[in-house]
Amino acid sequence: MKSGERNYSGSNREPSLKGTLISVGVLGLVIVISWFAVFALFISR
Amino acid sequence: MAIPKLDVFENNSRLPLPIEKKEANLYMSFIYVAFISLFIGGLMGLLQVLVRSGSFTLPWGIGYYQILTLHGVVLALVLTTFFILGFQYALMGKTVGMSAKQRKVSWLAFWVMTIGTAMTAATILVGKASVLYTFYAPLKAHPAFYIGLALVVVGSWIAGFVNWRQLYVWKKDHPGEKSPLLAFMVTINMIMWFIASIGVAVAVLVQFIPWSLGYAETINVLVSRTLFWYFGHPLVYFWLLPAYMAWYAIIPKIIGGKIFSDSLARLSFVLFLFFSIPVGFHHQLTEPGIDPTWKFIQVVLTFMVVIPSLMTAFSMFATFEITGRKKGFGGLFGWLKHLPWKDVRFLAPFIGMLAFIPGGAGGIINASHQMNAVVHNTIWVTGHFHLTVATTVILTFFGITYWLVPHLTGRTLTKEVNRLGIIQTFVWTIGMTIMSGAMHIQGLLGAPRRSAYSDYGGSEQAVEWGAYQMAQAIGGTILFIGITLMVYIFIKLTFFSPKGEEEFPIAEEEENAPATPMWLENWKLWVAITVALILFAYTIPFVDIIQNSPPGSPPFDWPIGNS
Ligand code: HEM
Ligand SMILES: [Cu+2]
Repeated sequence: MKSGERNYSGSNREPSLKGTLISVGVLGLVIVISWFAVFALFISR
Repeated sequence: MAIPKLDVFENNSRLPLPIEKKEANLYMSFIYVAFISLFIGGLMGLLQVLVRSGSFTLPWGIGYYQILTLHGVVLALVLTTFFILGFQYALMGKTVGMSAKQRKVSWLAFWVMTIGTAMTAATILVGKASVLYTFYAPLKAHPAFYIGLALVVVGSWIAGFVNWRQLYVWKKDHPGEKSPLLAFMVTINMIMWFIASIGVAVAVLVQFIPWSLGYAETINVLVSRTLFWYFGHPLVYFWLLPAYMAWYAIIPKIIGGKIFSDSLARLSFVLFLFFSIPVGFHHQLTEPGIDPTWKFIQVVLTFMVVIPSLMTAFSMFATFEITGRKKGFGGLFGWLKHLPWKDVRFLAPFIGMLAFIPGGAGGIINASHQMNAVVHNTIWVTGHFHLTVATTVILTFFGITYWLVPHLTGRTLTKEVNRLGIIQTFVWTIGMTIMSGAMHIQGLLGAPRRSAYSDYGGSEQAVEWGAYQMAQAIGGTILFIGITLMVYIFIKLTFFSPKGEEEFPIAEEEENAPATPMWLENWKLWVAITVALILFAYTIPFVDIIQNSPPGSPPFDWPIGNS
């Protein structure tokens, strides 16, 4: 079994979800950045 | 498009059921109304952006609010509800089946809704109900507008009762089995819809209809708005959950993968049920008559939907990555390469998912009390929901249309239509990026929503807005081209594509996926928690609103409304 491949036959090795982790992190960052951008606008007005 | 054989289902007791011709006609009827609405509503959208650019005046004394009301009602209320019910019926028919009697009752639902829609739309068209789709009191429309809306809601309840009955009958025949995932999701969505729409039904039946008929002299404005938004926020989740059904349980099949986690999908739907309803105050943050403490509490509850939303995002990325890795694509993002970019059944919903990233971020901004003050009633808000409903939801619905319609009409999705669909998706993406982007910026610069063209007496600030209004006209025109293309595709898939069998993609779980815990099926508990949360969030402030009401308002049917 190649590395990173999910093993479905018994052993409970988890598949690699690194890409997912990073993607969700980026998503969270987008949310936080846009929130603070508009918050800055609110403060400046 | 080739039809892969459903061999995996061979030894599965949950074989997808065939859909009979008679059922298909029912489901298609809902979808016809949806696409007729898309065209009419889209045309109004085009007129709006042209008027707002300042280079076009409506002919024949047609009012701006007349077309804007039609746009909002026909797209946000009619198109969505009809498409959703048609789609959900098809999901139920496919997973738990529909009896002849259930089909007859469903036709009743269809006709009640269609008659209601016709009444409401006609009233708006003749200029007797220019009250916008939120029909805020004290604007007063002709009674036929409200009666039509009530019929649409009641019809949708009938559809919900049928869906519940369908699952109930199936469960009796399959004791001890968990319900099929899609049937579970449809049931949740219809429970949410039913509980939420009681609010708007009460407002319409108890407040608006007697008042518009002249039986009641005044109306309690704040009560009516509170009832509206008790319904209005879950309404947006009623649109979104069917898109999530496709994301969780259909897209994995299209990309050649499996469901990431059946339990996670169910749990996220349960959480959406809990946190969609007791949050309506986040639309009323500028309302003076509501206790700020309760606004705060409802905003906190609003932010709870971040949890199931991020669960959904995580689950999507994970499905893509696991499937890609199984196909042998390594690296951090190698799995992106395996995705079927040239298959419109995937591409359109995928763009929809992407649009939900800025859409969701915008939603969090809207719901934050201070920042709501920055964007409230500006065209930013319009930009926001053209990303969420008019892109995320609508592109997912288009993605569903490409296989559902040919499946129901006994035709196939040809290569040619698939290509047109990809073009359609790009046209929509470009048009919406321009229009919605311009709306967001113009809104931050303070421009109001729900307004025709004005130079505001030559004010300096309004001069800043002009370029963005032009951009919206360009984006909106591109979008209208996209709508025309989509209607063409729909007609093609319905009447002209070659005969054949198009796959109804339903994803399965991994062979050795962990069993879904049975407690997820505890419907009574879910409903009880939902009701408890609603009572908690609404009882005290609602009593306060009623006890401390200012005098009610007499109707205003002028300058807009009913004149
Ligand atoms: C050709 C495509 C479209 C164009 C050009 C368009 C354009 C517009 C514009 C310019 C407005 C705001 C006008 C104003 O506030 O004065 C608006 C409002 C709105 N649009 Fe669209 N739109 C399109 C498609 C859609 C779709 C597909 C949906 C929903 C599924 C939708 C739902 C709405 C709603 C709910 C409103 C709010 C109406 C109100 O404020 O009462 N639109 N649209
Ligand atoms: Cu909301």
